[in-house]
Amino acid sequence: MIINPYTNPNVCQKYKEILLRGQIEIINLVQEMKSAFSDQDDFFVQDAQFDGTAFFLIGFNTLIDFAKSNLYVRQMTQRSASVHELFLNLSDQLDKDAAQLKKAVLDGKLVLISESGNNAIVEPVPQSLRRSVEEPRNESPIQGPLDAFGEDIELNIGLIRKRLGTERLCLCSYQVGELAKQRISMLYIRGKAQTALIEKVDQRLKQIESDIETIDDLNKHLGKRILSPVSHLFATEVPVQAIHSLKKNRIVLFLENQPFALVFPHLISDMLHTANDRNLPIGLSLMIRALRGLGVFATLVLPALYVALTSVNPEILKTDLALFIADSREGIPLTPVLETLIMTILVDLITEAIVRLPKSVGPTVTMVGGVVLGTAMVEAKLVSNLLVIVITFMLIASSAVVGVQNALYIRSLKYPVFVLASVYGIVGLIVGLALISIYLASLTSCDIPYMTFRMKGKEGIK
Amino acid sequence: MTQRLQIGFVFIIMHMGFGYLMYPRLTYSLTNTGHWGVVLTYGLLQLILITIYKKGLNYFPKEDMVDIFLKMGRWVAFIFLFPYAINLTALAAMDLRAHAETITSIFLIRTPYLAVLILLFFISTYTAIKGLGTILRTSIIFFITINLLVIFVIASSTVNFDLRNALPAWPSSLDFLWNIKFFYLMGFSAILFIGFIPSETNLKLSQLFAAWAYVLLFFLSGVYFPLFIFGQETVSTFLFPIKEAADSVDIGWFVFNRQTIFFGISIIGFNLILTAVQFWMVGKIMQKLVHWKRSKASYWTSASSLLAFIFAACVPNRIWIEKLIYLSGGTNVYFIVTLPLTILLYSVLVEKRTAGYEKK
Repeated sequence: MIINPYTNPNVCQKYKEILLRGQIEIINLVQEMKSAFSDQDDFFVQDAQFDGTAFFLIGFNTLIDFAKSNLYVRQMTQRSASVHELFLNLSDQLDKDAAQLKKAVLDGKLVLISESGNNAIVEPVPQSLRRSVEEPRNESPIQGPLDAFGEDIELNIGLIRKRLGTERLCLCSYQVGELAKQRISMLYIRGKAQTALIEKVDQRLKQIESDIETIDDLNKHLGKRILSPVSHLFATEVPVQAIHSLKKNRIVLFLENQPFALVFPHLISDMLHTANDRNLPIGLSLMIRALRGLGVFATLVLPALYVALTSVNPEILKTDLALFIADSREGIPLTPVLETLIMTILVDLITEAIVRLPKSVGPTVTMVGGVVLGTAMVEAKLVSNLLVIVITFMLIASSAVVGVQNALYIRSLKYPVFVLASVYGIVGLIVGLALISIYLASLTSCDIPYMTFRMKGKEGIK
Repeated sequence: MTQRLQIGFVFIIMHMGFGYLMYPRLTYSLTNTGHWGVVLTYGLLQLILITIYKKGLNYFPKEDMVDIFLKMGRWVAFIFLFPYAINLTALAAMDLRAHAETITSIFLIRTPYLAVLILLFFISTYTAIKGLGTILRTSIIFFITINLLVIFVIASSTVNFDLRNALPAWPSSLDFLWNIKFFYLMGFSAILFIGFIPSETNLKLSQLFAAWAYVLLFFLSGVYFPLFIFGQETVSTFLFPIKEAADSVDIGWFVFNRQTIFFGISIIGFNLILTAVQFWMVGKIMQKLVHWKRSKASYWTSASSLLAFIFAACVPNRIWIEKLIYLSGGTNVYFIVTLPLTILLYSVLVEKRTAGYEKK
């Protein structure tokens, strides 16, 4: 086999020769591929010869490791007698039409077209564009396996298959999108997840026509929730968590290029449970969960309670306690509402700012923002000591929740409670909490309420 | 099973809402001794009505009350249910108005009751619009927290109990049965709610009995707990006896000055569910009765809530509230007697008719 050195496809020698020989059909196919990818400089058409017949290797060199793939094809020629046999040896996808070939090229496959009119789609040695299995970035499991999902959808499914070796684990794949076809995969355990639920999700995924770029794009297609902080999907990075959800009768979706397993439906228990908790003795895991629940409660209640007790209902406290609070606020010009609002927003700002900072700058901001500013504010008598304690407590409490998104939405829900409490005091606080529980109870995804604690299996009605 | 439990919770919470409203005050005005006699008679009579209602409903396992009436004919349904919807609106209005008054007296002495009224109306309408599923799910959270609070309030006030206050324990006579106020008392009942869920998925009669036993226990505790603390003479002068009773306790180790706030919190909880269910029932009735193009339950719910709000806001003072509560309660008695009986009669008729066909 003779392979010409790499050349720009526009000046490909063999191509010109064939053009002269007038084999129009082949040329049409190659020509069509070339014109389709004429704007891509990383597109190559490489000619080679074997057994007296010319053939072309076509693909993207950014997706294919050309040197290795070439070596592979070359090795295969030694076992083959003719080009046709070579093609047979290399691939079982033979003689496809032009559209399929184009798609294969875009998917990072190597396309071979021979002079005699055959073509084949070959699985090449790909360029390594993916990071390998790493530790989770957003979750840090204690006492549990440390591998996390990556961007590659096959790798992610593989991570699950490896741990869940059963033929009942089913996988459905979808190609959706307008501009570029995006792969979505749905995993479930047959006999566990409800058939009705699977059908509904299947139908909704098939109906998607627009591009799915982010998790929220997918979320929108799974049910209408206008301006809701609660998503239909719970994203997790840890395979153990995804497998646990599968076993608990739920569905796991994978979106290409997202290093998350998207558990559907998202339930309130995701905020309090993780699969890794169960590595601890039951008493300890119950304690951890109770603490997380307390964290949610404290985040919602604390700022509101402070405002209610200082500005609206000071009389419900014991006299000495009420006096202590009044004492700590002495000389502070701001009203409790304003004071608390400023501090809560400040704390949320700091949290948000730190997230994207380089690790070297983060501690500085934390120190200046938290320690210096906090102390300065208290010493300048702008906010009371008590409020600083309350706000710190709240910040710590809000971080106890499982999942970044859950923590965020709990943090956002404290504002309505706060507003109600600043107007109605304790009544507002209670009504605010009631409103939140009513709101959360009203959420459903595919008829499964968000407030469900245990998903029923196949036999269950709801 | 979960749904049955939730329905039971809603049933209990609704009655607790009525129980905190006027129930103890009415009981004290009915008799001087042996208050349990009044409560148990009330319980027994309601139980008979529940049984009748349930027997009738069980004959149509897949339909709710409104569907059954619609089977009898559109006009029959309209004549029976439209006034009931109006009455429910009035009940909800008075209920919220009275509670807004209590809440302002506990928490927000300087705030006008109208502000609290708007808040309560907003939340209960919101809940009602979200539908029965939401109400049922919320009921679990509410039931647990509220019951804990109620138990805490009652348990902490046992220090002030003097059991002799409730003596003599035996009812002096059964004269209260002929008192018009006993009639009003009968109106404090939400048993018709059961009919709004098809009996297939609804509570069974035995489960309903259990829920009713819980309600009665709660009514008894609500009547006796102020009585043990103050005695009949004092307690009959109070407007909100339970509130005064909770106010009488001072716990040394506690953060809060008065534990009345827990009572206040539990009232808010009872009320939200009670009125939300009432508005939802109105929405459901009207949606099924009226076949307009845009007859959505949420529109009717909002309309009835608006009507109720205007009504509640127009009531000038506590004396009027009390009068109107009695009036709407009394009207409610009419419905809780006639509607179950009608359904039972209809089911008997249908049964006979089908039996007749089979014989032919």
